[in-house]
Amino acid sequence: MKPRDLVRLALSRLSTGKLRTALTMLGVIIGVASVVALVSVAQGATKGISDRLQSLGTNLLTVNPGFSRTSGGGATRGAFGSATTLTLDDATAIGKLDGVAATAPQLTTNKLVIAGTLNETARIVGTTPGYLQVYAYDMWTGSFLSGASVDHNLRVAVIGSTTATNLSLDASSIGATIYIGGLPFQLTGILQAKGGTSTQDDQVLIPLSTAHELFVGSNSVSTIGVSAVSPDQIDVVSAEITTTLEQRHGIASGGVDDFSISNQAQLLGTVSSVSDVLTFLLAGIASISLLVGGIGIMNIMLVSVRERTREIGIRKAIGARGRDILAQFLVEALALSLAGGLIGIALGMVADFAIGTYAGWGFVFNPATPLVAVAFSLIVGIVFGVWPASQAARLDPVVALRYE
Amino acid sequence: MSGAIGGTIIKLQNVSRIYDTGRIQVPALLDVNMRVTSGEFVAIVGPSGSGKSTMMNILGCLDRPSEGRYILDGQAVDELDDDGLARIRSRSIGFVFQSYNLLPRTSALENVAAPLMYQGVPRKERLQRAERALERLGLADRLHHEPSELSGGQQQRVGIARALVTEPALILADEPTGNLDSHSGAEVLELFHDLNALGRTIVLITHDVEVAAAADRAVHLRDGRLQDAVPA
Repeated sequence: MKPRDLVRLALSRLSTGKLRTALTMLGVIIGVASVVALVSVAQGATKGISDRLQSLGTNLLTVNPGFSRTSGGGATRGAFGSATTLTLDDATAIGKLDGVAATAPQLTTNKLVIAGTLNETARIVGTTPGYLQVYAYDMWTGSFLSGASVDHNLRVAVIGSTTATNLSLDASSIGATIYIGGLPFQLTGILQAKGGTSTQDDQVLIPLSTAHELFVGSNSVSTIGVSAVSPDQIDVVSAEITTTLEQRHGIASGGVDDFSISNQAQLLGTVSSVSDVLTFLLAGIASISLLVGGIGIMNIMLVSVRERTREIGIRKAIGARGRDILAQFLVEALALSLAGGLIGIALGMVADFAIGTYAGWGFVFNPATPLVAVAFSLIVGIVFGVWPASQAARLDPVVALRYE
Repeated sequence: MSGAIGGTIIKLQNVSRIYDTGRIQVPALLDVNMRVTSGEFVAIVGPSGSGKSTMMNILGCLDRPSEGRYILDGQAVDELDDDGLARIRSRSIGFVFQSYNLLPRTSALENVAAPLMYQGVPRKERLQRAERALERLGLADRLHHEPSELSGGQQQRVGIARALVTEPALILADEPTGNLDSHSGAEVLELFHDLNALGRTIVLITHDVEVAAAADRAVHLRDGRLQDAVPA
């Protein structure tokens, strides 16, 4: 038989029982649609996170207190950020290293912020003027914390755009008094929004010295943000910081550090490896529904072979060989799975678009996904079509012709 | 294709068909010898249980003899594998069944064209040939009707058109009038007569002696054995 004849036979058969055809395809449609949608969602989520990390600046190094790794046995791992081993002096020392453009030591706490009749509990970050450069913020209005404000423990504050919105503060509020933890501060500026749904826009920045004086009462900092002069300096600067801090903290080179340094490249790497796992996980789950869809096809094909036993007998009597019957049923199964696969891709892309739009990372389309999905649905068609088709092909024409 | 008039189309030599049911062996045909020459119209007559169906399956190359030789149109059938049997069914045999056995939900035209599909004939040519075959049987206005839209007599004529479309050496008819009223039945027999007059070799299997009378000669089956052939 010619391939065109096989395709024509399969299509005419599938069009005579439209409801059954549609229901049979449904399993594959759902399977393929979920593979396409879930893989795209995983990729979209990854892209969203990466974009956000990129927006922080690729020159960024973050120094945190506590252990990031155990080198040698028996080292106790401190919870990330729980230790208080970093000080303002460490930050100053780092700021003097070659290749460091700016540093932003920070001390973070949460306090009630009151502006007029409105209030919210906000993240209060005590920091230095370098913060603006290190985290790549722009001022929306007003001015950022000055060197003098840090030197003289001034009670001034700069707020994020979300905080400004929450507290109903705008450009006309510059110079107004807000209360942080019950103490009056003068509002000097509002930051430009970073965008997205991040918490980067919901915070109140005050001079680090003021935070020490009013809220913490020690010399420690919870994080030091460091900006390298260029992305390719990251590794050099990281090594310099390690050496400097080990010297300052009296740790032998190669010993267990009481601080850790992370950079955006590492974070991106972590995100992408997590998202790979996520992608495989979601694809795996979706593949199960594809498998179930395939079994649905096999079920219908087996029923179909039983129902059409007489037709098979007739076809054999008028000259069909076993392989002609095999091909006929196999092409039918393939047509079912392929049509289901194509519809599934379309639905999956619609879902992908809807989710991407809602979640804010847009339409992430990877052309490999539908190709893999189609290939997968064809494999499903072959794997689950072969057995019923070979049952049909093996029927004894004498028995098949007598079948009622 | 069909041999010359007077040449041997069917030759059965000591053919037996024994069904092995495991514990016992049931002989359905025993030591049958028969010869049909080209252009003959032969009836094989027997009551139910006489081995008619087995005879039909063997002659139609749907089944192989357990013992003996069967030569159809110069080809030793007992030596062929399943594909070989399919090929000889496709080229040398046209079946006409009691219950018509048309493909359901398939137009008369497509039904008649189907055997040509398995010969690899291009679609355009096979539709033309099918149309001509249906026209010859007076069904020119029923080309696109499905079997369920046709009367029994019409369905059987579609069946005959399907048997003829490949120009086979042998037309094998199994109780072709069994499901028809007497008028349609007589028409079908008349049709066979005309086809035979045009040189077709026809073997008709029936339990009905009256139907058998339409043939040139009848051979009688009883308990799986061929009785003495009675020349018509």
